[in-house]
Amino acid sequence: MSISLSIDTSTSRTSVAIIDEGALLWHGFRDGATSHGHALPAMVAQALEVQFEIDQVVVGMGPGPYTGLRVGISFARSFALARQIPVIGVCSLDAIATQVREKNDFIIATDARRKEIYWARYFNGERVDAPAVDFPADVALKGVPIFGEGAVKYLLTSDDEVQFPDVVSLVEIAKNPTLQVLQPIYLRRPDAVPTSERTP
Amino acid sequence: MIYEPLVLGIETSCDETAIGIVRGRTLLANVIASSVEEHARFGGVVPEIASRAHLEAMLPSVQQAVIDAKISLSDIDAVAVTAGPGLVGALLVGVASASGLALGLGKPLYGVNHLAAHVSVDLLTHDLPREPTIALLVSGGHSSLLQVDDITSSVIKLGESMDDAAGEAFDKIARVMGLGFPGGPAIDREAVAGNPKAIDFPRGLTHSNDWQTRPFDFSFSGLKTAVARYLESTPDYVKADVAASFQESIVDVLLLKALAACKKTGIDSLVIAGGVAANSRLRAVAEHRCHEAKIRLRIPAPGLCTDNGAMVAALGSLMVSAGRPASSIDLEATSSLSVSTVSI
Ligand SMILES: [Zn+2]
Repeated sequence: MSISLSIDTSTSRTSVAIIDEGALLWHGFRDGATSHGHALPAMVAQALEVQFEIDQVVVGMGPGPYTGLRVGISFARSFALARQIPVIGVCSLDAIATQVREKNDFIIATDARRKEIYWARYFNGERVDAPAVDFPADVALKGVPIFGEGAVKYLLTSDDEVQFPDVVSLVEIAKNPTLQVLQPIYLRRPDAVPTSERTP
Repeated sequence: MIYEPLVLGIETSCDETAIGIVRGRTLLANVIASSVEEHARFGGVVPEIASRAHLEAMLPSVQQAVIDAKISLSDIDAVAVTAGPGLVGALLVGVASASGLALGLGKPLYGVNHLAAHVSVDLLTHDLPREPTIALLVSGGHSSLLQVDDITSSVIKLGESMDDAAGEAFDKIARVMGLGFPGGPAIDREAVAGNPKAIDFPRGLTHSNDWQTRPFDFSFSGLKTAVARYLESTPDYVKADVAASFQESIVDVLLLKALAACKKTGIDSLVIAGGVAANSRLRAVAEHRCHEAKIRLRIPAPGLCTDNGAMVAALGSLMVSAGRPASSIDLEATSSLSVSTVSI
C-alpha cells in the first residue's frame, strides 16, 4: 500500500490522478460541466498506461451537481469492484479547503446551480459546519472569506486560484476514517416531476 | 468448437437497474432492481429518483449477477451497456459503471442500442435470430416497426408511433380507470374477464389513405380520447369490457401493421419485443394471425420482454461473435439514439 486512483467529478472540472504515497504518478483534468461522462474514462485509460496496478480508489462524494457526481461515484465503485480493491469516498469540499492558505476561518463554496451554492465552513483546518446548500447572499452574511468555484461564480471572492477539489488532498483526507463518506452527498431531495420522456 | 463469449450487460435507461450475464446464447444471470414503486405515486418515472436508485442498486446487482452466474468477474470477455435511447441521467450511471468495469478488468466495452437489445434478447429464447426479420417493438417509450437485416449492424425503421407509445397508452388508460401503474399488466389482468368486442374503439391510422401515406406508423391518441369519452359518458361502464376492448384495438392495429410490413417486404419472419410483448392478448392474437399468414413468429419469454440486462448482454454476445469493433471507452450516452444506430 498503496497506489491510489483519485477521482473527483463534483464540480465543472473532472479530475483524475494516480498517487503513490503522496507522489503524483499521473494527473489530468478537463473542464466542462457536462463532460464528466466522456472525460473520466478517457483520462483513467491514459493514466492506467502509466501505472496499471492500483491498490485503492478514492472518490469525491460531493456535494455537487448530481449527474456529474454520479458519473465519478459509479465509475469508482465499478472499477474497484473489478479490481477487488477498496473504494473510499470523501467530501469534495474538504479537498478544496486544503488549498486555502493562512486562513483559520473560511467557507468553501461550489456551484449548486439554480442560483445556489454548496458550502461548508472550516475552522483551524477542520470542517465545523456540515455541508449545506443555500443562496450565495445568505452564505456571504456569515462574514468570513469564501473560496471555491461557487464563490468565484457569484463574485464572493477575488481569489480564483482555489476553485476545484485537489486530487492529492482527496487521498490524504481518505486516510482519516472519520472523514470517510459512504453515500453521495446530495443535500436536496429529488424534484418529483415525472417525465413524459420515457424509455422504450 | 463455437466461441461462446461471456458477456455482462448493464441496462439503466429507465427505472430498472438490470444486470445480465450470458455465455454465448445461454442466460446465466438476470438481476433486476426496479425503482418502479418509488415512481408509482407520481404516475410516471421521475428521472432524479431513477438515477439515484441506479447508483444505489448498481454494485449489489453486479455482485448478485456474478454469484447467480457462478462465475468470477475476471472471467468476463466483454462488458455491454445500454448507450441509449433513454433518460440521460439514468443512462450515464450505467455507462460510467460499465466503463469502470471494462477499464478495471481490461476488457472491451460495447455501447449498444436499447431497442436493438430488446429484439436480440430472443436469442436466449429461440436460438440465433432469424434474419432478415420484421420486428415489432412495443413498450412504454416506443412503438416501432423495424426491418432487421442483421441485428448487429443493420436495422431500418419502417414506421413508429406519431404520438403515444403503446405502453404509454396502457399507462394512461389504466390511470383514468383507476387500475394503477404500470398500466400494461393491470389492463391485461382486468381484460381477462371482459369482452373484447363489447365496445368498438377506433383503430388509429388504418383508413384507406393512411395505408397509402403512413402504412407502418401508429397513432394511439384518438383511441385514448375515445376511451376517456366513453368512460365519462357511461357512468355504469363495465371495467373488464372497457379494458378488453381498449386492449383489442391496440393489439389489432399493431398486428395489422406488422403483418402488412411482412407482406410488403416479402419477409416471412416476425419478432415481437418490448414490454408490451408480454401482453397475453397480443401474444395469443399474434400467434393465430401469423399462423394464418404463414409467418414465423418469435416472441421472447415474457420475463425477457420488459427492460432487463440479459438483452444487453445478448446483443453484446452477438456483437462479439460477429467480430464487430468494440466501442470507445469514453463512449457518450445518447438519450435520443436512433434505432438504426445499433452500437456506438
Ligand atoms: Zn425498453
